[in-house]
Amino acid sequence: MFVPRPLLRTVLPVAAFLALWALAFLLVTNSYYRLVLTIVPIWAVFGLAWNLLSGYSGLISFGHASFFGLGAYAVALAFAEWHVSPWIGIPVAGLLGCLAGVVIGVPTFRLRGHYFALAMLAYPLALLHVFLWLGYQEVSLPMRREDGPAFMQFADARIYGWIAVALLGGAMALTIAVERARFGLSLIAIKQNEAAAEAAGIDTWRTKLVAIVMSGGLASAIGGFYAVILLVVTPEAVFGMLVSAQALTVTMFGGIATPWGPVIGSVVLIPLSEVLQAELGATIPGIQGFVFGAAIIAVVLVAPEGVFWRVADALARRRAPPAPEASAVEAPTDAAPPRTQPAADAPVILEVRNLSKSFSGLRAVQQMSFAVRQGEILGIIGPNGAGKTTVFNLLNGFLRPDEGEILLEGRSIVGWRPHKVCRAGAGRTFQIMRPFPRLTIADNVMVGAFARTRTLDEARAVTADALRLVGLDRDVRQLAGGLTNLQLRLMEIARALAGQPRILLLDETLAGLGAPEVEVLLVVIRRLAARGITIVIIEHTMHAMVRLVDRFIVLDHGALLSEGAPADVMRNPAVIEAYLGKKWQRADA
Amino acid sequence: MTQTRRDVMAATLGLTAATGLTVRIGQAQAPAEVKVGLLVPLSGPWARFGEIMRRGAELAVRHINERGGVAALNGARMRLVVLDAGDSTEKAKNAAQRMVAQEPDMVAATGAYLSSFTLAATEVTERAELLMLTLSYSDLITGRGFRYVFQTSSRAGDQAREAIPTLMQLAQSASGRRPETVGILTDNTAASISFVEPIRQEAQARFGVRVVVDETFTPPLSDATQLVQRIRSRRPDMLIFPVTVISDAKLVIEKMNEFGLGRGRLPTIANGIAVAQTDMLQNVGAEQLEGLMTVVANWDAKGQEQIIEEWRRETNEPWMTQNAISTYGDMWIVKYALEAARRADRNAVAQAIRTMDVTDGPAAYFPGRRIKFDANGLRENAGLMVVQWQGGRPVTVYPSQSAVAEAVWPRRT
Repeated sequence: MFVPRPLLRTVLPVAAFLALWALAFLLVTNSYYRLVLTIVPIWAVFGLAWNLLSGYSGLISFGHASFFGLGAYAVALAFAEWHVSPWIGIPVAGLLGCLAGVVIGVPTFRLRGHYFALAMLAYPLALLHVFLWLGYQEVSLPMRREDGPAFMQFADARIYGWIAVALLGGAMALTIAVERARFGLSLIAIKQNEAAAEAAGIDTWRTKLVAIVMSGGLASAIGGFYAVILLVVTPEAVFGMLVSAQALTVTMFGGIATPWGPVIGSVVLIPLSEVLQAELGATIPGIQGFVFGAAIIAVVLVAPEGVFWRVADALARRRAPPAPEASAVEAPTDAAPPRTQPAADAPVILEVRNLSKSFSGLRAVQQMSFAVRQGEILGIIGPNGAGKTTVFNLLNGFLRPDEGEILLEGRSIVGWRPHKVCRAGAGRTFQIMRPFPRLTIADNVMVGAFARTRTLDEARAVTADALRLVGLDRDVRQLAGGLTNLQLRLMEIARALAGQPRILLLDETLAGLGAPEVEVLLVVIRRLAARGITIVIIEHTMHAMVRLVDRFIVLDHGALLSEGAPADVMRNPAVIEAYLGKKWQRADA
Repeated sequence: MTQTRRDVMAATLGLTAATGLTVRIGQAQAPAEVKVGLLVPLSGPWARFGEIMRRGAELAVRHINERGGVAALNGARMRLVVLDAGDSTEKAKNAAQRMVAQEPDMVAATGAYLSSFTLAATEVTERAELLMLTLSYSDLITGRGFRYVFQTSSRAGDQAREAIPTLMQLAQSASGRRPETVGILTDNTAASISFVEPIRQEAQARFGVRVVVDETFTPPLSDATQLVQRIRSRRPDMLIFPVTVISDAKLVIEKMNEFGLGRGRLPTIANGIAVAQTDMLQNVGAEQLEGLMTVVANWDAKGQEQIIEEWRRETNEPWMTQNAISTYGDMWIVKYALEAARRADRNAVAQAIRTMDVTDGPAAYFPGRRIKFDANGLRENAGLMVVQWQGGRPVTVYPSQSAVAEAVWPRRT
């Protein structure tokens, strides 16, 4: 994404593949093989539809048969009851699928992880019974002996195949377009870490909704075409568990989150299943299912992310030797530019008034008030459990305060969702790092750049700037999965920076780093401050903090204990007691 | 010596070649074998039914070949080509496409057990102009204006409409009086609902039978006490009880026995072959099943004793059921059509079936004992059979020409 892949290099293989598949219909004369050649692209498109939502966003749907079946029934019923041609029925089915995406997405996105997957499972099961109850056990698409082509009925079976190939081309093009747009990167960010994506300024709810609408539309349209091929629609055939499973199977086999995955899966599995059915079905009935299942298990064990990624990883390894170890970040050569502390009357950028939050009886934050001045480096310290991270979560919108006010540049941001807070100019990093491991460093950072940029080029410029600022501009193509602790910390800061924040909330950024690495980070943070970015940092490492911050606030048991310049705070008996216990305070006194 | 032996060998070879040649010429005129397709589910949840159909077809093909094959084609033997329709409509359709693509010389086929499979498969066979016989029930099968599909069973809608007059007649002849009230106890599956719907609507108006209790439940039942209590309190003259899930049938039948309504004391009539399967014998037991009736499209019947006996010896299945006997009969229909067509040509065979009107031969294996198809391919007056559990076996008690036993219907005093 950050390093754009030439469009031709993406599109040419797709075009070549589609052309070959279309050509196959000219060479194959056996009507059965033609039918199999037609069914392969159908399941590939269904897999691509599933992939658009579940592959890219990671929201696993066990119920895509809902969309598929609605499309199939829409086309079949429109044809059988009102004589509407599938030429019209299929696009209408697509729109219906989009609508179903909204209807299903809005309530179901309240659930996460396994709960989402299970809830999705319920929809086709319910629809299956609804269609049974409506009396549509079997809907047959009438045979048109005179005006067949007007009703998508052809004497020449190759035409069905070519329509299927065209639909596959459309679905692959849509997938490629999504991948190349910021929308696609947003989806991948959601998949890898939804909270981080939201904090980086992505409206995750809307992004997911758009994804399910596109996915539902595509699945419904191909379900409609499936009805044209099968000519008989039954609830079991279009809403059944096997239908939903088919989308997962072809995609997971071929490779998730790539336009090629579902295609590879279908091209291998559908003919394999047919050959087994043909060769073994009548002689050792039932064995074909076993062989098919065993083949899938074997491939999943060898290539857990699918055939495509296995091959792609192997090729990448052969093409490029592993990145040299030297890519570890060295200390920035230039020292941090000098900065002056903000004046006491500098404008307040962030103000917190009487902030409180309880977790069923545990008062995590109570009646807290403080203000951050523009250009300041404010350190928040306090013993474990003092409520530091909770304050951050309240500030950036992950949590909603029970009472109190949060003003960002004079505007109340209470109740805003995190992406909105981010877009308003408050970025944050996490105590537990939340990288997107399958993305490169640059793409990880670029996810953050979408918050305040409009075009991809603008986002690229902002990303490059952020990478330069933290000193990661040399290894942009490295995958985040293999980074050192320091690189990850820097990358997180860069991601927050890409959102062009006015104020940056850094949560234990120095945790787990050795002394030389801490020095690198201190330089980077000072550099940000010199740029005029206000910094609020939570930290345990006192000796580093004392050198970094302009001012401390000290928390204990969710309340503000003390506030002031580093030297004053360090001498405050209450602070020493909170950190070290009463004994130390007395000994010191 | 050596010379002589070589001569003999040469002569033998020449003779063999010559014989081979003659045979091949003979084949060109009348093939040595005629292929008939059997497309049924042999894997997945319906595999057992498909297997029964296959064994029925194999038995028929063996009988046909043992008795001289197709006489009109110089005794050509029939050969069964078996295809697995699998567990989904798509697989059934693919298998049908494979059948027509890879067996261009097949003359006819039968299948595909489930209505939805048959509907999909016949979309293929129709376009390939390959005739397909089927025992599936769906009204749609012969409602599409197809010319190559022939339905030997009574359609679901017809079965439902005919059930009440059939039962009235049966009751009249068995007990000497017509029932005046009827109870309905049905699950809410599609097949059951479509069976009881005409009874609800027409029983009173057309036959003067009052529906005194009408209960619908959702499978699976956890307890049948309340349902059976309500039926007992209303005391209908007969109970219509279409049920699709064996465990529901078991619960209701056991409870009826407990309440003194079992063993035919309240004549109880199910629909379909589910309650007449051998599984019922193991699950519910012969004792409690006694007297239970079911309305089916075909069953083991009078005049088929020898076949059934052979079936039992070979398969260890105690009776043939609709699936085996209808498929057995289908093979004889094809054989009969081949004799009439005098050509191993699928269109000629289809034409022969369209004009067929027989009351002997293959007609012996179907209720009504006549094979004549209407313009849509539906067997005219396909009729019903009523089967009743008697002494641990479901035996045909209606119609009289097929019945192997009298129906047991309580005489009310």
